[in-house]
Amino acid sequence: MKIERLIQKRGGAPTRPQRWRTVRVNLAVYAALVLVLFLGAIESARLAGVWSTSGKLTASGEQVQITGADPAEIKGWMTIEAVIAAYRVPREQFYAQFHIPADLPVATPLKDIEPIVPDFSVTAVRDWLAARAAP
Amino acid sequence: MSVKIPAAPWRARLGRLWSIQTLRLATQAGFALFILYTVALHLLVGEGGGVITTSAEAYCPFGGLEALYTFVSSGGTLVSHTHLSNLVILASALLLTVVARGAFCGWICPLGAIQEWLYAGSAWAQKRIPPLGRSVRALKAWAGATPTRRFDQRGAPTLLARIDGWLRSGKYLVLAWAVLGAAAYGTMVFRDYDPWAALLTIGELELTGGAIVLAIVLVAALFVERPWCRYACPLGAAIGLAGKLSPLRIERAGPACAGCALCNTACPVGIPIDTRTAITDASCIMCLRCVDTCPKHGALELRLAIPGLAPQPPAHEQKAGVV
Repeated sequence: MKIERLIQKRGGAPTRPQRWRTVRVNLAVYAALVLVLFLGAIESARLAGVWSTSGKLTASGEQVQITGADPAEIKGWMTIEAVIAAYRVPREQFYAQFHIPADLPVATPLKDIEPIVPDFSVTAVRDWLAARAAP
Repeated sequence: MSVKIPAAPWRARLGRLWSIQTLRLATQAGFALFILYTVALHLLVGEGGGVITTSAEAYCPFGGLEALYTFVSSGGTLVSHTHLSNLVILASALLLTVVARGAFCGWICPLGAIQEWLYAGSAWAQKRIPPLGRSVRALKAWAGATPTRRFDQRGAPTLLARIDGWLRSGKYLVLAWAVLGAAAYGTMVFRDYDPWAALLTIGELELTGGAIVLAIVLVAALFVERPWCRYACPLGAAIGLAGKLSPLRIERAGPACAGCALCNTACPVGIPIDTRTAITDASCIMCLRCVDTCPKHGALELRLAIPGLAPQPPAHEQKAGVV
């Protein structure tokens, strides 16, 4: 009843002429399109091997190993111990470079240092190691 | 002679349950439950030794947007907290947007769904607790926050409508800050203030900037529908801009529209639909609630534009033989 009163009350605002022809789309078709497009694109990427949800896994699902060859491989989950061992950096030099408290265990992952030490970031570690390795 | 057999009561009840909004709710709930499962697994099982569980942040498309510049400029390096999955989901969300406009926000994003559910819960409580309902209605009327009344008696926008308009630019500033900051510093500068990241890491029980923003958003969602989406979501801003390319849009047929403004009331992002011809606003999340609510057949429809083809003349002109 309320809706009928509202409808009778006034007409709609005028509309402008359209630029292009349009065709009506069924709402259920639209819903199916949304799901197929979104999930289909993700599944296609997975099948193509372009998918990884963890820095600890490669695109093919194998566990990532630190090699010491390229600082770009360093991830937030890697510990100080693993990084300094792979890149042959003395512990004291690493701690001094990034102003890390001396009592922080070497088993600490890099991502856990970020909230403790201002200006520390995994990117900064990568950049420093890359500059250190440069001739 | 054929006789129409009446539907069984249970079929009639099932039929009433079916609507595009039921389907949308089920879709939103499905994605939200998946994220909840991922968060719970990461929190309860944790990581160590050979056990690897995925952080729910790996499924955030905005992480992909923040990581994109570094990924391209460095030849494949990702910034902290991001993975290949972030880039893939970003690409999927953009593909979806270019075809189906703001569907990611309206059908998939769990943060948007949580805000919607909070607002629905608040509206439910206001109906069942009359003094609460009266207070909120009085507050909204005093502030001029009524979806059908965006203009005062002189025809000028109300103060709240003007504030709403200014605040809506906020999401573009947040987008610029988050993307340019990530490109310049190589870290996710926005993450510390991101309510979604705060919600995903809620188990860490840390009082961060993101946790404060999250608390503000959740409280605001009790009174304003989708406040984060309206005013601050950088992903929503990017989707809104990319959605301008989409050929799908909701269109209003002027002669069929009764001007009841029920569509305005239904719109979760406050678009004045009853004044538009085509709803191509960047803030449209394609929830289709306006289409579902419209009482007049054919007044609001989802339509696909075909560029290059001239529009057909209106039905009344065709009947009258007008070319």
